[in-house]
Amino acid sequence: MNPIENPLGSIFISHRALASIASQSALESYGVVGLAAKNLAEGITQSLVKDPIMGVDINFEDSAVIIDLYIIVEYGTRIKSVANNVAELIKYQVENTTGLRVKNVNVHIRGLRISNTD
Amino acid sequence: MDEKTIVSNTPLNSFYSLNGEQFKRFVEASLRWLKANQQLVNSLNVFPVPDGDTGTNMLLTMQAAYNEIAESTDLNIGHISKNLAQGALMGARGNSGVILSQILRGFARVLDNLPEMDAQLFSRALSESRNTAYKGVVRPVEGTILTVIKDVSIAVENAITRTSDLALILEEAVKSADESVKYTPELLPILKTAGVVDSGGKGLFFLLEGALRYTKGLTLDDSAVVIKDLASIKFAETMEAVEDGQDVEVVIDFAPYKTLDLESFYEDLSKIGTSIQVGEGDGLYRMHIHTETEKQDEPESLIKKMGEIYKIYKEDLVDQMKRIEAKKNEISLNKFTPGTIAVVAVSPGIGLSRIFASQGASAIISGGQTMNPSTQEILKAFEDLPTDKVIILPNNKNIILAANTAKTLSVKQVEVIPTKNVAQGISAILRWNPEGDFQQVVDDMNESLEEADCVEITTATRNVVLNGIEVKKGKIIGLLNGKLMIGADDVEDAALKILEKTDLENRERITIFYGSELTEDKANSIAKQIEDKYPDHEIEVHYGGQPLYPIIMSLE
Repeated sequence: MNPIENPLGSIFISHRALASIASQSALESYGVVGLAAKNLAEGITQSLVKDPIMGVDINFEDSAVIIDLYIIVEYGTRIKSVANNVAELIKYQVENTTGLRVKNVNVHIRGLRISNTD
Repeated sequence: MDEKTIVSNTPLNSFYSLNGEQFKRFVEASLRWLKANQQLVNSLNVFPVPDGDTGTNMLLTMQAAYNEIAESTDLNIGHISKNLAQGALMGARGNSGVILSQILRGFARVLDNLPEMDAQLFSRALSESRNTAYKGVVRPVEGTILTVIKDVSIAVENAITRTSDLALILEEAVKSADESVKYTPELLPILKTAGVVDSGGKGLFFLLEGALRYTKGLTLDDSAVVIKDLASIKFAETMEAVEDGQDVEVVIDFAPYKTLDLESFYEDLSKIGTSIQVGEGDGLYRMHIHTETEKQDEPESLIKKMGEIYKIYKEDLVDQMKRIEAKKNEISLNKFTPGTIAVVAVSPGIGLSRIFASQGASAIISGGQTMNPSTQEILKAFEDLPTDKVIILPNNKNIILAANTAKTLSVKQVEVIPTKNVAQGISAILRWNPEGDFQQVVDDMNESLEEADCVEITTATRNVVLNGIEVKKGKIIGLLNGKLMIGADDVEDAALKILEKTDLENRERITIFYGSELTEDKANSIAKQIEDKYPDHEIEVHYGGQPLYPIIMSLE
């Protein structure tokens, strides 16, 4: 966990809250057309809960956040740039809204969506 | 494409279709015009991540795209646009670059294998650009380049019902792009807050406008004379280059009435003096020159004819040189007693650094509004001090976060006193007791935060409406504890005006720290006026040396 100290006590931000920020940012990031379950087991578990936050893993190393992101990218975009952009956006949004430090954002491309084959 | 003549209102040459080779020349024009305006686009970048690289990313993407067709002599527009799209895909950088590559990809898909493009095809290609662009994201954010390509494609769909002249249609496209860009702050609140339009949208506008300027034979190389970033032109930068007889430095900020013909501007200036520099930032220009004493008013009368003058600085170089020599001496920090409580202060100017040093700061990090030190720099400043008790004074609200991060990264016992400005920083350090109980000292210093108000006077970098106050770019503004309170015509006026807004009844002392852009005489004359107006208060004037803020005042 990640307590942030303030004069009245501690603030705890849950993994789930962090995952929500990351997932919302990812879906607004250009070139990302979906989040994907990390594996089959997660896919099944997630399909059983309401409002799942799929495709985002939050871990901590000391007080810094490590985010793993599993995404589907639009076919025909430069994957490297899309991955860079989404990583930068998530780092910025999480750091800016929580004050926590993001150490890594690992982006895993789980697939491409083909809308147009050209 | 070598012509650099500026002819405004040149009639459009009508054309009804475009082959691959002609299209290539339009693309080259777009690229050149974006390049000329790259810095401007960068300066608008606040969304999604405010890292100021949109113009550069779009330019690199467009350059990579153009490289794919630069050598081609293919007349088939389908082939050319396909190669262009391919190049953009391979070279796409940043968000706006990826979106731009999608726009070009959609465009190419419609032109497929066709030899030429007419008005109908142009409209269909733009619609496909829009569709392809929107497909690449789950939740499109409006008020961005996406909105601009959408509006442009709609405007072109309408235009082809009236004419099939591509020159007129292009003019419509540019007009709608311009309007769309101007409307982006209404759709994306963060733009409105920052007082900017969307950077990616503006980049797309320049690409279209470049093509239009090409049809009109207008210049695409305002950058023919190297333009610097406005903020990079500072006083004393060219001190070594002072020539005999050039005794006065004149710097004028102005907004030209129309596109500035830089070549002839440079030519006129070179008749007046030397060390000429011209900088541009977001439509505002800054001219820097060294002249003889007798000619010091000539730059002003020259520029008066060309645009609206916002600010004029004049500086006696000989005097300035002496002052700089005197101030160049290193700050000397007091000897630190190992094991006691260390104070690390962030300071925006040499004079303020000296003041913090004189109060016993153990380490000083230079940094301020536009030059935030990194966590690493803060960490480095105190990691080697022979103590495990450290107090950090960030002295700027944007640096508090980095200071807190440094705290979490350090093995030492570190506390950050969240000082949002220099005034709080100084009042905090006065409470510091190196031998005291750590927690007690921290509490004492935290308590002091309420004891000082901070007044800052600076220049508005863009048009902004905040707290019901409307300020135009380039005007002087006054902030009280970080809040915009007043707009004024000059520093003097601002200093007097803002003091009326403060709670001076409950304050006894006004300390003025004047910045690197204000002369000592000027600072003293402002202090005199304040003294006349508030005879019961104690007034002190110190050299702060901070850039961008001619005056910082601490009210205790």
